[in-house]
Amino acid sequence: MNWESILPNVFAGVAPHAAEAPMDPPMDNAVFAGFYQRSARPLWAYLARTSGDPALADDLMQESFVRFLCASHPVSLQAEGEVAGRRYLFRIATNLLRDHWRRPQSASIEEIPEEFLAATASSAQSDSQAVLGPALAQLRPRDRQLLWLAHAEGYSHREIAEITGLASASIRLLLFRARHKIAKLLREQSSLPGRQA
Amino acid sequence: MILRSCPFEKEVAQLLAQGGWPAACAPELRAHVTSCRSCGDLVLVQQAFQRARAHSTAAVPLVSPGVLWWRAQLRRRQAAVERVGRPILGAQIFALAVNLLLVVTFLAYQVRHGLSWLSWIEQLPQSFTLHLEALWPSALADSGMSLLVLIPALATLALLSGVVVYLAADRQ
Repeated sequence: MNWESILPNVFAGVAPHAAEAPMDPPMDNAVFAGFYQRSARPLWAYLARTSGDPALADDLMQESFVRFLCASHPVSLQAEGEVAGRRYLFRIATNLLRDHWRRPQSASIEEIPEEFLAATASSAQSDSQAVLGPALAQLRPRDRQLLWLAHAEGYSHREIAEITGLASASIRLLLFRARHKIAKLLREQSSLPGRQA
Repeated sequence: MILRSCPFEKEVAQLLAQGGWPAACAPELRAHVTSCRSCGDLVLVQQAFQRARAHSTAAVPLVSPGVLWWRAQLRRRQAAVERVGRPILGAQIFALAVNLLLVVTFLAYQVRHGLSWLSWIEQLPQSFTLHLEALWPSALADSGMSLLVLIPALATLALLSGVVVYLAADRQ
């Protein structure tokens, strides 16, 4: 009797079930690299715009991808598609953001002075950025997330519910309120004397 | 706030998503958007967010995907090692607890039934040709601290040191 007969593939370093069960092919480095190139920028934009902190967005984006790869039940990009993978990634990032805001020792988004976001926005070259930055800063973090997911990423109400963990039925109302509020703020921003030129 | 949805909202949203606004939009719909508050909000917000998204995604310094892949591999390996090590740590704690229980039980038993069998230890110094009392500091000898206390104390200390060193080396 030898070990190979007791535990098949034990010397090859292969898990016993891997040789028998037809599993989904694991994500390889090249597939991940492609997915990363296509998903990292939108994810960073989401994190940076909803948190108002580009450095935090850098950290959380990297952490999101690492957790995506380490997930115990990973999304198979080949089987479920890249859209599902990206949705899962945004969900991880949303949870990380929520954890960050819940942590008592770290600065919460509510504690960040409005000038910080306003200064970030005004330093941007685009005029739309300078208008949207202060308007976003006056909204609650959840509203910022909902608005970004709906209007920048184009997710449906059901997808937003899946990403944020909110009830699907409440998304419509929350989004309607948030949109009404930011539209009002955007109109006020653009009607300021400095903006009318 | 009353949620009033406009019947044209879906059509406007579709045009905005496909990039057809305002070029591919019918003049009637365009006229409707200027008069409808809900659709007006939608156009304003969607355009602002789309511009912000384009601006934000243009200037993102990305780290190499290989770095993240490597970090994920490290974390997975670490998690696997922790998973394997957890039962071993449990077994160590269990063994330590059993040993402590045995020691306590033994001591309790000995206290109850007397320590007569240990009397031979007290005879030891007299049986040696070399008198160990000469090695003790006079303060110890004066305080009456006998070998009966010292030897078990030293033995316990050595045993505990061994356990601590073993656990520390094992953790490393």
